[in-house]
Amino acid sequence: MDTQSYLPVQPGVGMEENFLSLDDILLSHDRLPIRTECSFPRLGFLEKSSDTQDIAEGTKMELPLWLSKGLYERKRRVVSVELPKVYRQGWRTVFNADPNVVDLHKMGPYYYSLGSQMLHFDSPENPDIAQTLLQTFIGRFRRTMDSSQNAYNEDTSALVERLDCLEKGLFRSGQSGLNGFQSWEKGQATQLTASSLVLNYRKRKITDVQP
Amino acid sequence: MSDADALFDDGSDANQDDSQEDVMTPAELIAKLEEAWLNEKFSPELLENKSEVVECVMEQLTHMEANLQRVKKGDAKASVHRMEIDRIRFVLSSYLRSRLQKIEKFFPHVLEREKSRGEGDPSLLSPEEFAFAKEYYANTETYLKAVALKRMPPNLQTVDMLKAVPEPCLDSFVFLRVKERQENILVEPETDDQREYVVDLEEGSQHLMRYRTIAPLVSSGAVQLI
Amino acid sequence: MDPSEVEFLAEKETVKIIPNFSLDKIYLIGGDLGPFNPGLPVDVPVWLALNLKQRQKCRIVPPEWMDVEKLEDMRELERKEDTFTPVPSPYYMELTKLLLNHASDNIPKADEIRTLVKDIWDTRIAKLRLSADSFISQQEAHAKLDNLTLMEINTIRAFLLDSLNCMYKLRSNLQPGSSKGQFTDY
Repeated sequence: MDTQSYLPVQPGVGMEENFLSLDDILLSHDRLPIRTECSFPRLGFLEKSSDTQDIAEGTKMELPLWLSKGLYERKRRVVSVELPKVYRQGWRTVFNADPNVVDLHKMGPYYYSLGSQMLHFDSPENPDIAQTLLQTFIGRFRRTMDSSQNAYNEDTSALVERLDCLEKGLFRSGQSGLNGFQSWEKGQATQLTASSLVLNYRKRKITDVQP
Repeated sequence: MSDADALFDDGSDANQDDSQEDVMTPAELIAKLEEAWLNEKFSPELLENKSEVVECVMEQLTHMEANLQRVKKGDAKASVHRMEIDRIRFVLSSYLRSRLQKIEKFFPHVLEREKSRGEGDPSLLSPEEFAFAKEYYANTETYLKAVALKRMPPNLQTVDMLKAVPEPCLDSFVFLRVKERQENILVEPETDDQREYVVDLEEGSQHLMRYRTIAPLVSSGAVQLI
Repeated sequence: MDPSEVEFLAEKETVKIIPNFSLDKIYLIGGDLGPFNPGLPVDVPVWLALNLKQRQKCRIVPPEWMDVEKLEDMRELERKEDTFTPVPSPYYMELTKLLLNHASDNIPKADEIRTLVKDIWDTRIAKLRLSADSFISQQEAHAKLDNLTLMEINTIRAFLLDSLNCMYKLRSNLQPGSSKGQFTDY
């Protein structure tokens, strides 16, 4: 938390990705299960499990989100994208029953963002997926809020361990609000402290800095 | 009467030659600055610049500081004046800084809005801020080119900044206090099974609602963001 | 907003002091102050009161509400009501901290007051969380927040607004249309 970059770009969440957001860049590398709907000549080297020269039609493989989005077209079917398990009917039932029991970090960690991205690919299940994403967020909100507002100066790793990346970001906003208030209350805000940058800098020897 | 008195009791003369219709007292001017400061801090988008207010406040400060130069050390009043100056200066720089931060965050959109602005429309940016935004844009572009883009295939060497940099989200919620009573403010529904409805904003009441709904009231000064 | 900035705003509130010096009227940019006469109460902004107090130039008269009995009543009411009760000052928390830290010798039963104000604060913050949760779960579009103070809003601001933003975007997923199927091409 103390090494926050200057003006970080937030993830886009919904249907959009933010080009310069680190979270969204990582998200775009999440792998999706796909099935090829035509053959890809001379691209067999991309498919590690076989030695053939081409990728045959009907091959099942995994592609990163950015590539799947690039190849997917509704009119000309090149690839079809399968829904990752966590967004399918079975898991949706679990989420609708009690969203708080799920370890979204393990299942994600970009559960909401990837789920929103999945809506790019046509599927009759899309409305249900979108609804589940929203309800899951609402259902888990209280827990995210309470843990972020009650954990001052404690080891927070256990609290955030089961949160999705988005929720972690919110947890951090909540913590910074709480910490800001508490250090004001204790009068720490009026004490000047050396920037961590300066402290670290001192530890380096001059020879390290010189080329 | 201490010698400091003669210097200070004309605190309002900087405004007197201003023959414009709205003559403001220095106290009102400071209140305006603080309003602009809080609004700018809390609004999701960059607001119209208040360079008139900024200039007048600067004038007041320089005037006061010039007077203080002539006061002998240890004058009891001078120290109070200095404290006040420091406080005003703090608000002023925090205001300007929060504008710069927004310009850095939304620079392509800020410049685009400035470009599409009609002839007589007031400018979003002060001349200095405009220069800053243009320079920031150019520097960002140069930097991206130097570290990455020039190593890309030729057809991928441009980045559309307007698409790459997120726009301000006008649908963000804001906290506000009402300064002038407003009737029939339309609240749009959040979900399909809700209906839109209207609320009256009573003077002095506080609300949490979407910025988009009340953005015009922020620029007219009818509500204050908090 | 940083809590110290909220405190900065609180320092503009006026408070009564009893000076032990004399000085003519001071014509500040923000308004006139004084004159100051030894033993005669006069209204000044808190920032000046604290400065004079630190230099032992005055005694601070605590605001009327900074009184154990009054605060006990307020605490009772705050605990009884489900909604936010009117606060004695829009900056009650900040003023309590500022005055108690710098002028506790001028305020009778300072420690009790500190505890009472903290109790009131805690009760209100618990309510605030409750209302934030229901605002989210009901997916409300508008809330009236009279009687909430800036410092209270400030402790939850970033969290609540960020959450509402996320929720807004997740909800816009439900509307099939506009951006769908068109991949943004940078």
